[in-house]
Amino acid sequence: MVEFFYNTLSPWQWGLLALVPPAILALYFLKLKRQPLEVPSTYLWKRSIEDMHVNSLWQRLRQNLLLFLQLLLVALAMLALLRPGWESSKLDGERFIFLVDNSESMSSTDVDGAKNRLDEAKKLVGGLIDQMDSGMTAMLVSFADTPQVVQEFTNNRRLLRERLETIEPTVRGTDLKGALELADGLANPSRMPIQEGDKEIDVVEAQPATVYIFSDGRFESVKGFSLGNLKPYYIPLGSLAAKNLAITAFTTRRSDAHPEQRQAFVQVANFTDGAHKATVEIQLDGSFLDAKEVNVPANESAGVVFPLADAPAGKLVARLKYELDTPSKHDVLEQDDIAYAALNDQKPGRVLVVTPGNVALEVALATERAHKLGTIEFEKPEFLTSDSYKRDSEAGAYNLIVYDQCAPASQPRANTLYFGRLPPGRTWRGGQKPDGVEDEKSKQEDGEAAADTPAPKASGPQIVDWDRSHPMLASVELGNVEIADSIVLQPPPGATVLIDSTAGPIAAVAPRDAYQDAVLGFEIFGQGADGARTANTNWPRMLSFPTFCLNTLEYLAGGTEDSQLASTRPGQPVEIRTAGNIAELTVIDPAKKEHAVRRTAQDVFQFQNTSQVGVYDVKRGDQVIERFAVNLFDRQESDVRVRPTQDSESSTIKPADIKIGNIEVQATIGQTPARFEAWKIVLGCALFVLILEWYIYNRRVYL
Amino acid sequence: MLMPVTESNLLPPDLMAQLERLELVTRKVFRGRMKGERRSKRKGQSVEFADFRSYVPGDDLRSLDWNLYARLDKLIIKLFLEEEDLHFFTLIDSSLSMGFGTPTKLEYAKQLAAALGFVGLIRTDRVRIETLGQLSNQRGPVLRGRKSVWRMLEYLNSIEAGETTSLAEGVKNFCLRNAGKGIVVLISDLMDKAGYESALRFLVSQRVDVYVIQVLSQEEIDPDVKGDLKLVDVEDRDIAEITVSAPLLARYKSTLNAFVGGAQEFCNRRGMNYLLANNQTPVKDLIGSYLRRRGLVR
Repeated sequence: MVEFFYNTLSPWQWGLLALVPPAILALYFLKLKRQPLEVPSTYLWKRSIEDMHVNSLWQRLRQNLLLFLQLLLVALAMLALLRPGWESSKLDGERFIFLVDNSESMSSTDVDGAKNRLDEAKKLVGGLIDQMDSGMTAMLVSFADTPQVVQEFTNNRRLLRERLETIEPTVRGTDLKGALELADGLANPSRMPIQEGDKEIDVVEAQPATVYIFSDGRFESVKGFSLGNLKPYYIPLGSLAAKNLAITAFTTRRSDAHPEQRQAFVQVANFTDGAHKATVEIQLDGSFLDAKEVNVPANESAGVVFPLADAPAGKLVARLKYELDTPSKHDVLEQDDIAYAALNDQKPGRVLVVTPGNVALEVALATERAHKLGTIEFEKPEFLTSDSYKRDSEAGAYNLIVYDQCAPASQPRANTLYFGRLPPGRTWRGGQKPDGVEDEKSKQEDGEAAADTPAPKASGPQIVDWDRSHPMLASVELGNVEIADSIVLQPPPGATVLIDSTAGPIAAVAPRDAYQDAVLGFEIFGQGADGARTANTNWPRMLSFPTFCLNTLEYLAGGTEDSQLASTRPGQPVEIRTAGNIAELTVIDPAKKEHAVRRTAQDVFQFQNTSQVGVYDVKRGDQVIERFAVNLFDRQESDVRVRPTQDSESSTIKPADIKIGNIEVQATIGQTPARFEAWKIVLGCALFVLILEWYIYNRRVYL
Repeated sequence: MLMPVTESNLLPPDLMAQLERLELVTRKVFRGRMKGERRSKRKGQSVEFADFRSYVPGDDLRSLDWNLYARLDKLIIKLFLEEEDLHFFTLIDSSLSMGFGTPTKLEYAKQLAAALGFVGLIRTDRVRIETLGQLSNQRGPVLRGRKSVWRMLEYLNSIEAGETTSLAEGVKNFCLRNAGKGIVVLISDLMDKAGYESALRFLVSQRVDVYVIQVLSQEEIDPDVKGDLKLVDVEDRDIAEITVSAPLLARYKSTLNAFVGGAQEFCNRRGMNYLLANNQTPVKDLIGSYLRRRGLVR
C-alpha cells in the first residue's frame, strides 16, 4: 500500500519549521510597528477610520489577511514537504522498460475483452505508451525462455506502438531473470577497472528506469539478482481459476514385454480443481491410429499407453479431447492439447565391448534378445589405440562402449559402461572438472593424476542397498551377491548411485553432455598378483547378471534415441548423429520450410531452429532418414492459473507477488501503478499565495 | 506709469502680463475710504453725470447748474457719480498644515494672493494681505497702486508656515481688525479639527464679499500611501493608525468629497463663493478661468 504521505524531514527539522507559524503570529500580535508618516492633517483619516470601524470584525480579518496568507504559505510549504501523493495510473519516471511475457501460458484465453493474455498485455502497454510525455523514453522487451529486445529506448511513441504489435506468442517457457538482466545492463552501470589493479569505476552512467513486468507469474522466483536502479512493477494477467488440461509427456519406447514392438506413452495433466474425463487420440501421419479415454483427478496427471505394434516410421500426433464446463467447452490454452512424437525406423544400436576376455559378459550378451537390441562387437584393449577406434568413437558411431578391465585415454562420444575402472578425467575422482578453460596441458596433467592417484579400494564390501527404481536395475536382485574387492566410487554431482555398500557407493551412473557413464567399481574377473585370472564376484552366477546386462543394453544402447529426441524443447538445439561422411543434411520444420544443416567441428549436425513445436524431418538427399519432435511439455506453462496467494488480512485470494532477489514485487491488478506526486501542485499553490500576498501588499487590493 | 521691474517666483512676468488686463469685481458696491477708480453708489465728484436735484441750503454752490437756473430760475444741483477705491483683503492660512505639497499649499496660496493683489494694485484698489496667525492688533501693510507691488511681494515672501492659531480664531481677529467693507479672499485648506463653519460665520457677519479658496495638495486629494502606517498630524501631533487598503482609500475619498462638498454648500448658502484649488493647477489657469468664471476678476 502506497502511503499518502512520505516524510522528508527529520524531527528536529520539523521542530524548526514548526516554529515559523508562532513566529509569524507573534510578529502580528505583538504591537505592529507602523511606519510613521507626517500628514497635513489626520482629520479626514480619522473620520475615514471611524466609518470603517463599524464592521470591525470583518475589518480585523481584512487587516490580517496578510497574516492568514503567510500562515497558509507556511502550511502549504509543510504539506509539500510531506510529499503527498497517491496511486494513480500516471506514468512515473523518465525511462521505462516494458517486459512482456510471451511464453506459452500467455496464449491463454482467460481474459475478458482480449484475445489472450498477451493481447491484454499489449493493450496495457499501449495504454502506458499513450501516457508517455515527450521527455520519456521506453524500451520494449519480450521474454519467454530468452529475452528479446523488441525496441530499443526511444521516445517515439508511434514506433513503440508499431513494434509492440510485432510481439507474437511463443511456445517457450518463462525465464524472467534473463529479461531482468537485459534491463539491468541498461539501468545499472557495470563497473570495471580501466587498468589492471585500478579502482573500479562506472563505465556507463547509471540510468534509473522503471520496469513494468507483464506476465502471468508462471515462473520461479528470480534468485541472485539485484534490482539496483530498476524500479519494478508487476502486472499479473489472467485469472486465478483458469482451467486447463494438457499433455505433459508424449514418448515412444520399446515395449517391455515385447522389445521388438514400440508403444507410445501419453501423460495428461489436469490443472483444474475437478476431475475430468478426456480422450487421447493418436494419429500417425494424419491417419487415426488409436484413442483411449483417461480419467484425470483434479490437479493430478494420468498416463495412457498405446501399443504401436509394428507401426511404420512417421509423425505421431496426440490430441486431447474433452468437454469442460466452460462456455466454450474448451480449456484456456489449446496449444498444449496437442503433442508430437517422431517414430523412427528401428535402428539396432552399435555396442563395442572392450575386454581382455570375460566369459560371463560374453555369455550374457550372447542372447537373442541382446542381439535384437544391437550389434555387439568384442575387441581387445589394444584396439583402443587403433585409428578406427579413435575415428568411430569421436564420430559417435557407437551407442555404447563397455570397458572391461581397461579404460580409454579420453571419454568417447558414446554411452559408456566401466567395469572395475574409473573413466578418464577428474570427474569421477572427487575433483571438479574445471569448466571450459581446461587446455590440453592440464588435461594431460589430469590424465597423469588419474594414473597416479590410486582409486580407494575396499575389500569385501557388503551390498547394502540398490536403486530398484532405476531402469538398469529393474528386476535385478543383488541380495546374495558377494564382491571380493571394489573401488569405492566418488560419483560426480548429478550422478545416481546404483549400488551402495558398506564401504560406500560401488556402482553409479552419471550424465556427461548428451551421454551417460555407468561405472561399476568392481571387476567381474580380476587378475591376481601372479597374473592368474580370478573371479572377483559371484554375480555372474546369479540370474540378475544377464538381466542387468540386458537392462544396460536397453537403457544405454537401445531406447536412448527415441526418448532423447522426444524431449527436445522449443529453442533447444538438436544434435543429429548419422553414419557416413556426408557434409550436409536438410531439416524440414513443421511449416514445411527447409533448413540446410552442416556438419560442425565435433562431427555432429546441430540444428538450432527449433522454435516451432511439431515433428521435424531430417533428410539426406531425398530420403527422410530421421525425425524428431519438438514439444514444450512444461507443467509451469500449462498450469495457467495465476499463482494465487491468500491475503492474510482479508482472506481473499489474489495473485501472488513475485520475488526478485530479496525484493517482493507486489502484484498490481487492474491498473499500472504509479505514484502521483502532489507536492509540485502544492508548491505551486504556495507560490501563488506568495504572489497574491505580494500583490495585495503592494497594490492594496483586498478581496 | 512705469512698469515696476519685478522678478519674483510669486508673480512671474507672463502671469503679470495676463493679469494686467484684469480687474477685481465685486457684486456689491462698497464705500471706499479714498477716491479710486471705481464708480460708487454715492454721488460725488467725477466727470460722469448722475442726476439732478433741488438745491438745499448748505450744498456746494459749485455744483449748481447755472444753465438751468438761467432757463428755469430754479436752483438745481447737478449730481455726479463718485469714483471710489475697493478694499481688497486676502487672508492667508499659514498654519503648519499649509506647508505640505509640491508646491506647498502655502506657496500656492501666496502665488494666488500675489496674483489677485497685483490685479487690485494696478486698479488702484486698496489691497491688504494678512495671515490668520496675526495678532488682533497686528496689521498687514495697506497697499495701493502699482508701485506697491514689490512691497506686496516682499511681504508675501516673508510669510512662512508655522502659525498655530485656529481657523476660527484667526478669522475672528481679522474681522476685528478690518471692520470695513470690501472683498475678502480666504485662502486655506480648511483642515481644522474644530471645523471651518464658525470661522466662516464670522465673515458672513461682515458685510463683505467673501471668496473662500480651499487649497488642497495632490497628496490629500489622492493619497499615495501603502502598508501599515502611523499617520502623525503635523499640527497637533495627533496619531491615526491605518492599514492602507482599497476600501479605506475609497472611504477616505468619499470623506474628502463629503468634506469639500459640505464646505461648498455651506458657502453657497451664505452667499459666499467657494472654490477648491488643487496645488497642481497653475495659478494662471485658476485665475484665468475659474476665478473669472466665478466673477472675482474681469
